[in-house]
Amino acid sequence: MIENKIIEKIAQAILDGEVGVATDTTRIALEAGLDPMQILNDGLMAGADEVGKRFECGEYFLPELLLAGRALKAAMEVINPLLAGKATAAGSWVGGRIVIATVQTDIHDIGKNIVGSMLTAAGYTVTDLGVDVPLKSIVDRAEEVGARVIAVSVLLTTSMPYIKDLIGLLKGRGLREKYIVVVGGASVTEAWAQSIGADGTARNAAEAVKLVRGLLKAI
Amino acid sequence: MSDYLEILERSNEGEYITEENWDLEKVAATARKLVKKHRLEWDRNQVVSDDPSLADAVYQAGYEMAVELGAYSRSTERIIALKQAEIDEGIRNTPQTLVMGEGKDARTLYARNLGDERPPLFFGGPPGNPIPQQIFLPNVVSYVQEPLIDLATCGTLTEVDGHAVRTGHPMEIVATRRELQYMHAALNQVGRPGMGMLGAQSSVSELGNLAATQTRYLRPCDSHVIPLLNELKMDNRNFSRVVNSLDYGMINASLPCVIVGGLGGGPPGSAVVNVASFLVANVTCRADYHLLHPIHVRHVATSTREVLWVISIVGQAFTRNAPSIIVADIYPKSGAGTKELLYETAINAIVNAVTASHLEGCGSADGKLPNCSGLEARLMAEVALASHSMKMTLREANEWALKLLPLYEHIFTKEGGNPGLPFDKVYNISSIQPLDFWQKMYEEVKAELRSMGLTL
Repeated sequence: MIENKIIEKIAQAILDGEVGVATDTTRIALEAGLDPMQILNDGLMAGADEVGKRFECGEYFLPELLLAGRALKAAMEVINPLLAGKATAAGSWVGGRIVIATVQTDIHDIGKNIVGSMLTAAGYTVTDLGVDVPLKSIVDRAEEVGARVIAVSVLLTTSMPYIKDLIGLLKGRGLREKYIVVVGGASVTEAWAQSIGADGTARNAAEAVKLVRGLLKAI
Repeated sequence: MSDYLEILERSNEGEYITEENWDLEKVAATARKLVKKHRLEWDRNQVVSDDPSLADAVYQAGYEMAVELGAYSRSTERIIALKQAEIDEGIRNTPQTLVMGEGKDARTLYARNLGDERPPLFFGGPPGNPIPQQIFLPNVVSYVQEPLIDLATCGTLTEVDGHAVRTGHPMEIVATRRELQYMHAALNQVGRPGMGMLGAQSSVSELGNLAATQTRYLRPCDSHVIPLLNELKMDNRNFSRVVNSLDYGMINASLPCVIVGGLGGGPPGSAVVNVASFLVANVTCRADYHLLHPIHVRHVATSTREVLWVISIVGQAFTRNAPSIIVADIYPKSGAGTKELLYETAINAIVNAVTASHLEGCGSADGKLPNCSGLEARLMAEVALASHSMKMTLREANEWALKLLPLYEHIFTKEGGNPGLPFDKVYNISSIQPLDFWQKMYEEVKAELRSMGLTL
């Protein structure tokens, strides 16, 4: 019973976006001897799933999503050392790294932030490079952090060619096969994503998580 | 100019804060606090409120936010603090009339009142929709040939002579200039060479903007966009646009695309952010007029209940408290060749016009496809003028909204959206007239609107 209450409190801390409560309660749970996988799946992920659902149905807005992402990230730092390489119930690859960025010359970040938060909520380690990120920096950072997925966002139609250039740069460096490249943004269509040789696109953040999960499972 | 350079200097010397903390601890937290303090609520069945105290409270909350937060420089990660006196001076200096264009084609924009005797003005064009080069000129003509259209705007070129246009690249200069050459060609073709333009839509960075400020491209009687980034943010790119136009003498249109469901939270908080954005833009964008263009966090469109509410309350908030020239954009979800596009256009036309805005449109198909035409802009103007001639009240505008919403709301959950057809599949691009099926659809919707009581 006490275990359940701690787990519920962890989930609630994620729902409330409370960084301090999330990390403290996670530590308390570990000290009480709870299984880290249980803390992750029934506490952190359950809270994150609920946040995602509430956002999708319009009950939660962007601040709640970002705050929940912040709380989850902090709590994950507490349990990550105990989890490395273990799969979650939801099928994510804990410790799987993703770099996410809005491509160079484009400064729109809301969509990227939402997708980044949802991927974090799904258990991935997301390195957000920000907006207007030069192609070379995206590739360099992906190499540096050991990412498996490069997620790039674009809203401006006149910035879209740079994503094609990014794939060209990966090919040029002999790295294309090393990365899953997913693209997203208001102007991106599936046909365009295919035409430039990306591995996939999604219409919204929830679908982006499913896409990444599916692509990672397939390798 | 010198007082503006002082504002610019603050972006180098202001308090440092990470962008994430600006978003969450400043914008989101302040919006939440002010919504609670002023007890702001919205009702999804009252997308046009007729409660003046609500409009005043939204204004007051937005004013407090502008004074408390100021703006953020994304380039330097510093706060650009604004003094209350500067916000107040910005309000006092806001133009009440503004001439755009020249000669017989010139039009005078004005700060509208609720129930204004003067009709609203209309910008015709699909602002920012990507348009292939081969149909760019006829696409512009399809709007500016419409007699009810007063001012021109256009889509963006994504390719020129087979070469992809890249932002911040020499091709941006080529595309921006080519776009404006097409704009002038279109205005000449329809015999309205002096029509004022909101142009250089293909210019995203300062490269295109600088390239456009010559009288054979954008004239001083034309305007360009100065975006205020989400939320309450400037960057050196947009500061460059301001200093360029201050020297050149061109008209500045501020464009804060506040995300409804974004950092402001729900519609009340988003309306507060929008009010604050206009007040900040008076100072940081040196706005001569404002583009009112909130967007829905998931659906984008301006025809959602949430966005309609924000448009209507922000328009009322300003006309009652700080009269300004506001042009409300219409960005329907649906694309050309669909009835839903016409219903969405009609509802936005009524709501925007009755709540004291001028109108711009339509960025059909969420502004992301070339699926747009002058015919929906014609309907925009006709419906807005009908609401004006009927002296439609706020309450009546809401009743109209509630009648029209059920006719198209299904498209927000439709798989694949409702993109419709590209311009060249709804217009004959030689005669630049709507194809029969599109003309018939327009006439059917007009007949339907008449049967519902609109004097068209």
